[in-house]
Amino acid sequence: MEVPAGFLVVYLLFSCFVASSYGVYFSSLNETIIVTATPTQGQVLKAGEDQITVTWRFNQTYRAGTDSAYKTVKVKLCYAPISQKDRSWRKTVDLLKKDKTCPHKIVARPDTASNNSFTWSIERDIPSGVYFVRAFAFNAQDEQVAYGQTTNAHKSTNLFEIQAITGRHVSLDIASICFSAFSIVSLAGFFYMEKRKAKASQQK
Amino acid sequence: MPEIEGSPGSSMHGVTGRESVMAFSVASPMVHTDRTAKFALPVDSEHKATVFKLFSFANPHMRTFHLSWISFFTTFISTFAAAPLVPIIRDNLNLTKSDIGNAGVASVSGSIFSRLVMGAVCDLLGPRYGCAFLIMLSAPTVFCMSFVSDASGYIAVRFMIGFSLATFVSCQYWMSTMFNSKIIGLVNGTAAGWGNMGGGATQLLMPVLFEIIKKAGATPFTAWRIAFFIPGWFNVIMGILVLTLGQDLPDGNLGTLQKKGDVAKDKFSKVLWYAVTNYRTWIFVLLYGYSMGVELTIDNVIAEYFYDRFDLKLHLAGIIAACFGMANLLARPFGGFTSDYMAKRFGMRGRLWNLWLLQTAGGLFCLCLGLVDSLTLAITFMMLFSVGAQAACGATFGIIPFISRRSLGIISGMTGAGGNFGSGLTQLIFFANASFSTEKGLTYMGIMIMIVTIPVSFVHFPQWGSMFFPPSQDIVKGSEEHYYVSEWTDEEKQKGMHQASLKFAENSRSERGGKVASAPTPPQNTPNRV
Repeated sequence: MEVPAGFLVVYLLFSCFVASSYGVYFSSLNETIIVTATPTQGQVLKAGEDQITVTWRFNQTYRAGTDSAYKTVKVKLCYAPISQKDRSWRKTVDLLKKDKTCPHKIVARPDTASNNSFTWSIERDIPSGVYFVRAFAFNAQDEQVAYGQTTNAHKSTNLFEIQAITGRHVSLDIASICFSAFSIVSLAGFFYMEKRKAKASQQK
Repeated sequence: MPEIEGSPGSSMHGVTGRESVMAFSVASPMVHTDRTAKFALPVDSEHKATVFKLFSFANPHMRTFHLSWISFFTTFISTFAAAPLVPIIRDNLNLTKSDIGNAGVASVSGSIFSRLVMGAVCDLLGPRYGCAFLIMLSAPTVFCMSFVSDASGYIAVRFMIGFSLATFVSCQYWMSTMFNSKIIGLVNGTAAGWGNMGGGATQLLMPVLFEIIKKAGATPFTAWRIAFFIPGWFNVIMGILVLTLGQDLPDGNLGTLQKKGDVAKDKFSKVLWYAVTNYRTWIFVLLYGYSMGVELTIDNVIAEYFYDRFDLKLHLAGIIAACFGMANLLARPFGGFTSDYMAKRFGMRGRLWNLWLLQTAGGLFCLCLGLVDSLTLAITFMMLFSVGAQAACGATFGIIPFISRRSLGIISGMTGAGGNFGSGLTQLIFFANASFSTEKGLTYMGIMIMIVTIPVSFVHFPQWGSMFFPPSQDIVKGSEEHYYVSEWTDEEKQKGMHQASLKFAENSRSERGGKVASAPTPPQNTPNRV
């Protein structure tokens, strides 16, 4: 039982190490887009209430024509390193298709030469954390070819904080208390009634 | 606590599906069938059923079976309800990896103690109230999830919900009051396996509920809280059903439980002593932590693992995770079956080898699960791992009844607690640490399982041998009687307290192996009422 399973295991392990390492690496991209966002350093925003206005444009100091390949621009909300600490599901990985730094989409637009801007209401499922904004430019094959972000290369400047909603509601709390009380009271009620019945039948 | 055979709760001898299929009914002339009793099933002189009719709801025996296993199933749903929703909860409560890991540890730790206490509660109040009290008092803890707003609240609530896993004890105890000891092994094993399936069912149920509630308009951070109301209601509904439809004994309720009959009660301190001083007890406590324990651990971590590692949608990760727990339907009885099968040819040595093979295979597949990158391979290894671990659980309880006759109940209880302890330990070491990833944790856990299973080779029965050594050739020391009667002092033997052990020893000779006939369940007949 063990031996054939062993061979199978070794063979399968071999085959699965054909790494799926195709894809674009973040380190291969140039920061050719200038991105700015309305939150200032250290500002605290509330999910579900506040808004962020993002503007982006091609950095003219780069060779003109570089941006002819850009077809779409996707702007994303990204975690700062402090919000990634001890949370491996938000890890930064160089291979972009495995990278989990920027899971929240703000907007996706076809690329235009003029100043682009978008005002985004912070959605209610954004968790609490420290963030920055990053924009990726995609070519016609939907691969990242360039990026821009509101913070520096070390992701230490110009970070802002978002406070999530609690998800709690007074109505939920009340319902919870009611059902709990029902459970305890009906248990006590049954117990008491049965004890009384037993006593009554004993007295007969 | 279980006492002399025959009194409720004492015939806990096989919490497993180890019994051969032939054990569906008791045909032995030694079991006196009471024909005057008006029950839907044939019963013995204690009015315990001698037949196990799975799809019947007849009062009281089969009704008890279904109430019992469904209550246990419900507590598994509640205890592991958070696990498939962790990807949402961790964002809502801003949890770190250690918070999530600690909550997992907390969810299985509470029942280490509650399982030990539940035995006493069943003795005092009866299993019906024991079960109902526990699930109805833990319903508020499930509803409490709507109040949780940070890591410490989350950990505290999961700890409190975890107490409800003690329904395992009330479930097994209740069924030993309803079913004859010849079939109690199959009945208890089926109930245990089907109850454990709740850990799988919840991985399917909670994400589906979450999606439905979200579609109805709630935001994610509120939807998961609402979803928790459903397991809470299950608790309340099952509690009410148990109270209204259930009864402690075939003949009625608690009153008759107080009458113990003329057989002397055994002393708790003595029973505990013989359990604790038998080294085999501790080896199995350790081993069960790495079969049942890792099953509980995986129930807590696997959905999140598939969600993160393979970028699956929440309900898809839940479906895959559910397959792990649902395998219990067949895997646990399978382990009992292979244990019996090996015992026919090779006796107890066969059982020990069977356990070692199954549990080590489980560990090997767990190791592979952590190494692979592809989704199909991961699912394959997960399923192979689930069969290995769950069959090992079944096989463990194929051996436990033979460790001691006098202290069987306590040893079963300690082993069960060891399972939870192993779960807490593995979650703490491998999955609460931010310094290595979940996949590394799975691989290391697989290695640890394989290492920890090695001590099964040290389990030696003088009368039957061990994995590597044959039985003792000594006429006296190598007899079953010597082993089982050595648990009684001369004083006790003079009082005749050891008679049941003698009978057990005689019937356990089948563990020498080499017999063609089916290895009979060590019969624990209804006591010889004087």
